[in-house]
Amino acid sequence: MNDEERTYETATARIEEIIRRLDSGEAGLRETLELCREGRELVEFCAAELEAVGQGLEELRLEELVTRLEAGSRTAGAE
Amino acid sequence: MAVEPGTRPDGIPGSRLPGPFAVGEYAQRLRDWLRGRARVQLFGEVWSLQTSRTKVYFELRDASGAMPCSMWRNEFEVLQIDRAALADGVEVVVAGGPDYYPGSHTSSPSFSFLVADVRVAGEGDLLAQLDRRRKALAAEGLLEPQKGLRRPVLPRTIGVVTGERGKARDDVIAGLRRRGWAGRLVWAFAPVQDRHAAPALTRAVQDLAAGGVDVIVVARGGGSLADLFAFCDETLSRTVALLPVPVIASVGHHTDRTLLDDVAAVSCSTPTHAAEAAVRVDCAQARAQLLATGRRLSVQSRRAVLERARGLARLARAPTEHVARHRRRLHQETREMRASTRRRLTDERALARRHLLVLERKASAATGAGVRERARDLDRLRLALDAHDPERTLDRGFALVEDEAGEPVTAAARARGLGRFTVRFADGRVRARRDDQERLF
Repeated sequence: MNDEERTYETATARIEEIIRRLDSGEAGLRETLELCREGRELVEFCAAELEAVGQGLEELRLEELVTRLEAGSRTAGAE
Repeated sequence: MAVEPGTRPDGIPGSRLPGPFAVGEYAQRLRDWLRGRARVQLFGEVWSLQTSRTKVYFELRDASGAMPCSMWRNEFEVLQIDRAALADGVEVVVAGGPDYYPGSHTSSPSFSFLVADVRVAGEGDLLAQLDRRRKALAAEGLLEPQKGLRRPVLPRTIGVVTGERGKARDDVIAGLRRRGWAGRLVWAFAPVQDRHAAPALTRAVQDLAAGGVDVIVVARGGGSLADLFAFCDETLSRTVALLPVPVIASVGHHTDRTLLDDVAAVSCSTPTHAAEAAVRVDCAQARAQLLATGRRLSVQSRRAVLERARGLARLARAPTEHVARHRRRLHQETREMRASTRRRLTDERALARRHLLVLERKASAATGAGVRERARDLDRLRLALDAHDPERTLDRGFALVEDEAGEPVTAAARARGLGRFTVRFADGRVRARRDDQERLF
């Protein structure tokens, strides 16, 4: 799964899968290390997602959002 | 300040209208005038039925107008009409006439059509219209698309369509705070119950979707279905149904289901619940859980390596331990064999001794009598021999003549033929020689 497809829910679902596989005790050493590496990466991704919605509530009016988007598109066009 | 009774202020300069009259007097006259109007029957849909201690209030509506109605509670109860039968939108026929409560210095006046009788006529036109629209949307498959959209568990940006001064706004924020969510919230304020509401709501959801929000909440703090009719607008419903962003509706209550509730991805009963449906994880709890998961993965990783290392070490020691174990066993078996052999030799030796003893005893028992008999025979023979032994004769004083060869000379004739001979006594020998005259020398 690449980063574009990855979402918080797919990441948490995969972490649960990994934990289940590790708990089963059926994974060999190589697979265990690979699963742990993948799991830690997913945990970091989820932590970043949580961090993004934990910085403080940012309230905008729709008009402000539209203005920002228009300004953004103008800047992108100028570049 | 209350106007003192009996005092009348001057009128408006230049006005040709009569008066001024005291408002209470005018109100009472208006009441009397209204009560003098003809009693009639009206029909329309019942909306917002409410009951007080003394009266029942409701509105009678149709597409072109409405009338506030009231009925004395005791008269209403005499009719024994089930309250459920007078749900919003139910068509009724009422009989009565206009009335006016003039109010007072401390109470507000009110106009109402005072109802003396009620008959339930059938399902209301508004509800029937709503049902027709719902069936049409369902037939076109427009109740499903929103429900098939991927709804993020943890959106970063949430758009909210609601009235600017409504309580729903605070409720949404309260719901998001309860989840521990503090991302970007985009407000799209719109009227929610007048004739401008539906187009404004439609534009708001379209603009929010275009603005890239992850999920849209449409919230209103409730009200009667008539007030919520903007959310049953066909254009709004079709727009939401085809929107690529999931919409969470929270505009009515359990009993007042709007078309927006039907086409939306999720329908909630309150704005707080809608906010919680928009953010489906408790962020604080999720953070704690992630921390625990991270630790658990580290532990699993370390344990997997350590366990395998221990396993390998165990395997590496195995041959040595195997040999040592066999050596110990062989030593043990050798010791046991030696001990067993010693025990066996000792036992057999003891047994042999016992056999020997027995044999000796048996041999002794078997041979003792013969030996003694032979001994006695030998003694007898020895005695017999001793009796014939010349030595014994010599002991008694006799002498023995022997030739030079030592042979005994037992006859005189022989002695005469010998020149030399030996005379043997018991204590020794004496050599002798015979001369011609047979004399001995």
